[in-house]
Amino acid sequence: MAGSEPLTKMQRHPSFRARKAVPGKELSPQELSPQIEARIQQLWPRFPEGRAGQALCLPVLYLAQEQFGYVDAAVVDLVAARLGLTAAHVTGVATFYFMINKARPGRYHLQVCTNIGCQLMGAYDVFERCKKRLGVENKGTSADGNVTLTEVECLAACGYGPVAQIAEREKPEIPLYFENLDAKRIDAILDALAEGRVPTELGN
Amino acid sequence: MGLFDVKIISEHFGVPEAKGLEYYERKGGYRNARKACGMAPESIAAEVQASNLRGRGGAGFPTAMKWSFVPKDADTVYLVVNADESEPGTFKDRHILFWNPHMLVEGMIIASVALKVRNAYIYIRGEMAREYQVLQAAIDEAYAKGYLGERIFGSGTSLDITVYRGLGAYICGEETALLSSLEGGRGWPRLKPPFPAVKGLWGKPTIVNNVETIANLPWILEHGGKAFADLGTGRSGGLRLVSVCGHVNKPGVYELPLTVTGRQLIDEVCGGIKGGRKVKGVIPGGVSMPVLAPDELDVPFEFDALQKDERIREVEVRPGQKFDLGGNRTLRTMAGSGGVVVMDDTTDITQAAWRIVHFFAEESCGQCTPCREGTGWLAQVAHRIAFDHGRAGDVDLLASIADGIAGNTICALGDAAAWPTLAFLTKYRDEFEAKVRNAHRPKGAA
Repeated sequence: MAGSEPLTKMQRHPSFRARKAVPGKELSPQELSPQIEARIQQLWPRFPEGRAGQALCLPVLYLAQEQFGYVDAAVVDLVAARLGLTAAHVTGVATFYFMINKARPGRYHLQVCTNIGCQLMGAYDVFERCKKRLGVENKGTSADGNVTLTEVECLAACGYGPVAQIAEREKPEIPLYFENLDAKRIDAILDALAEGRVPTELGN
Repeated sequence: MGLFDVKIISEHFGVPEAKGLEYYERKGGYRNARKACGMAPESIAAEVQASNLRGRGGAGFPTAMKWSFVPKDADTVYLVVNADESEPGTFKDRHILFWNPHMLVEGMIIASVALKVRNAYIYIRGEMAREYQVLQAAIDEAYAKGYLGERIFGSGTSLDITVYRGLGAYICGEETALLSSLEGGRGWPRLKPPFPAVKGLWGKPTIVNNVETIANLPWILEHGGKAFADLGTGRSGGLRLVSVCGHVNKPGVYELPLTVTGRQLIDEVCGGIKGGRKVKGVIPGGVSMPVLAPDELDVPFEFDALQKDERIREVEVRPGQKFDLGGNRTLRTMAGSGGVVVMDDTTDITQAAWRIVHFFAEESCGQCTPCREGTGWLAQVAHRIAFDHGRAGDVDLLASIADGIAGNTICALGDAAAWPTLAFLTKYRDEFEAKVRNAHRPKGAA
């Protein structure tokens, strides 16, 4: 989308205002990848006549996020056009679900659970340590753009808490779980991320 | 065999090759799916009826009864497996999906024959990326073998199973919200009735069952409904997966008889409380459920017992005034999702209570005002009590907000926030009051 064009009504929606400040805006999408197209073709017949377009809204949004890293107004327009939905509907869906990033996250997305099972085992100490070391608040990205830190709700690994999950921008499909975290283990994880790698040896 | 030796679902947990079709079939897998394809739907339903199988997702509703609500003349029926496990404290379905995906697929084939389903869906939590890959691989294997797709096992039955990934919303574990999400919209719950069994996915009759519920079906068909009922107690058949977290020596997922009490679970199954400390409170079925105090742990963790046993105190709105569950019923607690949270005597109950209501405030879908506004207010008040800024009257305020939410919303999320709040206040009121009394106050304040 060229910068000089006036914004459409949807693009003026508060959820998408931040888009202008997002680094990497030049990557604004032109089209969905052939992989997404193939997946649409594969899934389309699994839904009843006339329902597939809407039913595919979640899967395609997620795949588009894998392709572009986040979902902004331009991605919404692409998804809506491909599935025959209104941009309003797709925006409604995209803003409802927690896993859709409205802005581009860091290279690594570190998600720390602080819910009850993890809280009892010291998750807030782990989370505070992450905040301090990265110099960010919840949902913030470190100054070098390397790590985005998010406090998340239960990851269904309560017996092995505190638990964190790391998603890597280049490999969004396989986030790793890191269990039984304490100061030492989270330090090792943060060190590895700073070196530019996910410490798979610590995960499972 | 000892009390804890019988296993239906968890026998192969931890065996890496158990994920594969070859291993599963070598252990007798898919035999019962094949058998089901040659059976009359009614006779499968009759076995399930005889088994006393109750839904393992939270409500404990009898599975056969749920199935019986599908109109007999329905032209299209959908089966949806609820794999959106996100109730804090619960991590049992994740184990089934990861270690035993074929058992779920086989159970789905059996249920689909019984319900005359052509298209079935599995709605899996978005965060469970690994489990999704394992499950999808298992389904692909089953397709390659002709166990799914057109004319499965060479019979007249055809079945497609599609895995649908959620995108991170606790509310989508509620069955009508799940259907809204699966249709490609926001995960907003719908009013019941009509129940999904009558009017569900795209307006068609739809059965939504939990992963563990469905995974029990192959065993039921193999050994007969009666054998399953005999494993259980009273009106509840079979065994149950229980996930235990918190301050125990051996947290994890265990498949146990329904007669096991809270105390046995902690001491005999989970090796006692960490560091030899004492138990302070136990949440028996995910954080939506009222907490149990140490003197209430000799009750079996079974659906009916947890609701009715008089050794468990009734939840109160304020001292002496019992909480009204509607229809003159009182609330003790419930078996819920089998997620057991154990808290030892070093736990600050007010902080645990705050974290729980904070969760519900985060996850409220926003449709109903009492829940949208109420959960946020609960979290705010609970936070200031827990972190030493409580004000006079806050404890009663908390109870009054919770009582105002309960029963006044479309789905159970409002209740799920209100019930534990009231239970914490009923059983640990002194602690909340002490926190308020000792709160840091600005100079000059009362």
